[in-house]
Amino acid sequence: MIKLDNVTKIYKGEMVALRDATVEIDKGEFVFLVGASGSGKSTFLRLLNREEKPERGHIFVAGKDIAELPGYKVPYLRRNIGSVFQDFKLLPTKTVSENVAFALEAIGRPRAHIKEAVPQILELVGLAQKADNMPDELSGGEQQRVSIARAFVNRPLILLADEPTGNLDPATSVGIMKLLDRINRTGTTVVMATHDRGIVDSMRRRVIELDRGRIVRDQARGVYE
Amino acid sequence: MAIRLDYIAKETGSNLARNFTLTFASILTVAVSLALVAASYLIGQGINNSFLGLRSDVQLFVYMNPAATQEQIDAVSRALDDSPGVENVDFFDKERSYEEFQRLFEEQPDLVSTITPEDLPQSFRIKPSSSDAEVVTALGDTLESKEGVLRVEYAAEFARQVQRSVRTLNTWVLIVGGVLIGASVLLIFNTIRTAVFARRREIEVMRLVGASNGFIRLPFVAEGLFHGLLGALLAAFAAWGFDALWKRNFVNQVAFELLNQIRWDPNQLWSAIGIIFAVGALTGAIGSGVAVSRFLRA
Repeated sequence: MIKLDNVTKIYKGEMVALRDATVEIDKGEFVFLVGASGSGKSTFLRLLNREEKPERGHIFVAGKDIAELPGYKVPYLRRNIGSVFQDFKLLPTKTVSENVAFALEAIGRPRAHIKEAVPQILELVGLAQKADNMPDELSGGEQQRVSIARAFVNRPLILLADEPTGNLDPATSVGIMKLLDRINRTGTTVVMATHDRGIVDSMRRRVIELDRGRIVRDQARGVYE
Repeated sequence: MAIRLDYIAKETGSNLARNFTLTFASILTVAVSLALVAASYLIGQGINNSFLGLRSDVQLFVYMNPAATQEQIDAVSRALDDSPGVENVDFFDKERSYEEFQRLFEEQPDLVSTITPEDLPQSFRIKPSSSDAEVVTALGDTLESKEGVLRVEYAAEFARQVQRSVRTLNTWVLIVGGVLIGASVLLIFNTIRTAVFARRREIEVMRLVGASNGFIRLPFVAEGLFHGLLGALLAAFAAWGFDALWKRNFVNQVAFELLNQIRWDPNQLWSAIGIIFAVGALTGAIGSGVAVSRFLRA
């Protein structure tokens, strides 16, 4: 599903964010990216949805080398990749269901499909009762559920999560992890960058550790360190 | 497709409402600049029309000295009849000149009452067989040397001078219009950039979920087009008003001897309006297109 082949990413010609990374992630895997701040976790994720281009190496997503992908095809790549962030990135002027629907409107899906898909996904994330609330009326955990619903409503092949529990308390984080686990069980590949030791240690999934841009550990059913 | 149309209408509408003052400023600038361009176009067409009108009827005026004898007048008349460069001669004696004078200045009875037929010079009105300026000038020179001739006037030469000064003025109107179009593009650019900035979070999300660049761009380009076209609509009204005003004040008004020659037909007004809309749309599309592209460059 995802394959990095000797990938190097350098910012502004000097700061090496990722160095000779080679790694392969299969379809349906759940992978934690761990490491100190600045170790290259976010860069790793940003390379996968072509927010960044590598200086060297190849990145294959679903069989295609996305490092060589022409700009006009990037949107179609992203339709297969959901993204979740620490700060949710919800639109404050839209309700919960409008926020989710926006993801489908933006890619031109028919209205009938949107009407059907949005309540379904809100049911899945447990927010059917809050469909008409505004984001600022929700707790942090609920907001993150909305953002996950938005990322998953188009049923992407891959879900990228950049510290999705970074702003949440441990109890709420457990709920979010259960949701991501459920999404993973539908066959979606999940790649999640995190600092949360408790989560990594309790889930016992594959762990890739980065240190100053290098992959220093790749362990199946791993722990935080 | 239906969802796209109402999506564009909704987003464009909310942008327009949010940036009312900037929107207003850019639409007005578009309108003023396009109105100047249209006025300049109409005057330019009018000059061409008057130029063509004169070319088919280049006239030489040979004014006789009021004290000229009948022999001198007959001599000039014979010379004109014999000259191959003359197609048509019309002699205005004192009575005929006075009639014309009365007609031209009928709105100024005070002036008319002070002049008698005896005060007016007799003249030959000549239509040369060739409109070539050199031939006409050579003919004029020959006539000027005849005895009893006061002076020779060239209608075309006079008209050309008028044309030249009107053209110079017109060039400046066009330059000012062009500069204002430049200002319009910048204003629209700025307005759209503000709109893009106000919606940067939405754009970020749209990019993340895989909206195509065209789809993200569409509402903003629609907004820029709206600025350009609404400005064009205002300018079209201005051009129409300018047309009416010009016709009422100058065309067929003897008092404006220079300007009453410059006239255009309704088709030329329509092409001016066509130009207004084309340039307006282009201005809006360029201003907004550049503004959005800058933001979307990945």
